[in-house]
Amino acid sequence: MKRIINFFKSYIDILILDIKEHIENMPQMFKLSIADLKKTYTGAALGWAWAVIKPVVTIFVYWFAIAIGLRQGSDIDGVPYILWLIAGIISWFYMGDTITGGTDCIRRYSYLITKMKYPVTTIPTHTNLSRFFVHCIIVVIVIIIFCISGYTPPIQIIQLPFYMILMFLFFNAWSLFAGLISAMSRDFANLVKSFNISVFWLSGILWNVENVKESNPLVYKLLMLNPVTYLCYGYRDCFIMNSQGSVNGIWFWEHPKRLMYFLCWYAVLIFLSLWAYKKLRKEIPDVLI
Amino acid sequence: MKDTVISFNNVSKIYKLYSSTRRRLLGIFFKKISYKKKNAVDNISFEIQRGDSVALFGKNGAGKSTVLKMITGVAFPTSGEIKVNGRVSALLELTSGFDLEFTGRENIYLKGHILGLKDSEIKALEDTIVEFSELNDYIDQPVRTYSSGMKARLGFAINVNIKPEILIVDEALSVGDAAFRKKCQTKINEIIHKDNVTLLFVTHQTAVAEEFCKRGIVMKNGKIVFDGEVHEASEFYKKMK
Repeated sequence: MKRIINFFKSYIDILILDIKEHIENMPQMFKLSIADLKKTYTGAALGWAWAVIKPVVTIFVYWFAIAIGLRQGSDIDGVPYILWLIAGIISWFYMGDTITGGTDCIRRYSYLITKMKYPVTTIPTHTNLSRFFVHCIIVVIVIIIFCISGYTPPIQIIQLPFYMILMFLFFNAWSLFAGLISAMSRDFANLVKSFNISVFWLSGILWNVENVKESNPLVYKLLMLNPVTYLCYGYRDCFIMNSQGSVNGIWFWEHPKRLMYFLCWYAVLIFLSLWAYKKLRKEIPDVLI
Repeated sequence: MKDTVISFNNVSKIYKLYSSTRRRLLGIFFKKISYKKKNAVDNISFEIQRGDSVALFGKNGAGKSTVLKMITGVAFPTSGEIKVNGRVSALLELTSGFDLEFTGRENIYLKGHILGLKDSEIKALEDTIVEFSELNDYIDQPVRTYSSGMKARLGFAINVNIKPEILIVDEALSVGDAAFRKKCQTKINEIIHKDNVTLLFVTHQTAVAEEFCKRGIVMKNGKIVFDGEVHEASEFYKKMK
């Protein structure tokens, strides 16, 4: 009994430490994330334009392959395929970048660990924040695109910050876990990179998961368990009035089960990140050098 | 009255050496994976008072850098207790904590932010640091274009000027020309005497250490083999060779 209490206590202590480090280092974190952003985009002639060019090109390529090549580009939920694609894929741009980028974060900032005393738990947060700033800009652009093209988003658009924050927190926990493990060994980063593409194709970003609902209910259920699918369709619920066949749009509380599954995943990730921190914090400076 | 700023109490540090990174990755998940142990620091105890200037001597691999890293808070002891009071400014290796993509000036701000200084505080120190580093126009170039001497100069300029309470200098004075070295020594002497800064100095050049250290500690294979007056320590170290 005592061992169980101690076990939980040790994890709660780390969680408190994690939160404390974030609060105490808020200004540094923001400054480092802006510095990170600058580093990503300065040094290229087009600089900031790349933050927009890259997603535009990617969207065009996928739209071309699916709509023109495979002739699967019919309207979905009452909006043209390209708009349906954009509404979901912008969340993947953040998620995909963070799945691989979060894995590298501790290694990229190894000097913060090996050369000075710096709160390790905030390193994933500031690298993710810099990506999140870019994501916010893209979201604004997409809202404008929807309005211009005559498919004004429904009132549900106001729940977009909810999904954005959920996504940020979820992948922040992932980044701490993955960053710590990959700091110990590069194998893990390679593993993540090779899985990243599978996650993309299994998550209903390019194709509508609703298509398999009738023919294969079990697969549909499994797909909806996937947190990436959850967030991607959450984004679509914000932008598209008839999302997932609804009439008046969908609020996040209308799918309590899906939200619960997502939160379970989140709890698992938090546990893993705390476990990794507890296990590796003292070893990492010796390994990174 | 004694004012202890650094105290080591039976501190040991063991590095785990795996035969491959694959085994290290597995070692996270399975306790069974075997590794070799390297006892870098072996059960050492000492105390340093405020205003002390201590030289650390020892051959390569004696454990000096590990001790300094543990004082800085970068590395953690495997067992034992370490207490450190005060803001530590460490010059661990030359490029200590620079972001290579940023300019020298941006790095001054970055370093200041990381240490928790406000913009206004850094601004007040900026000119002193730029002037001290003698980088002139190079201060606005990315640090990756710097030579090792320039990096060391900038690193040194930042670290001595941000008002440290404990200053750790690890071999950093061995680079740079004679004139800059002299300037650094004068600066170190100045902050030791004026601001009551505690200095920890690691070097192989015993003559330099004798100039501004009073106490000397000699390490060998992770143990302290001599702790006392700096001239005696340097004699001891020379004989040990």
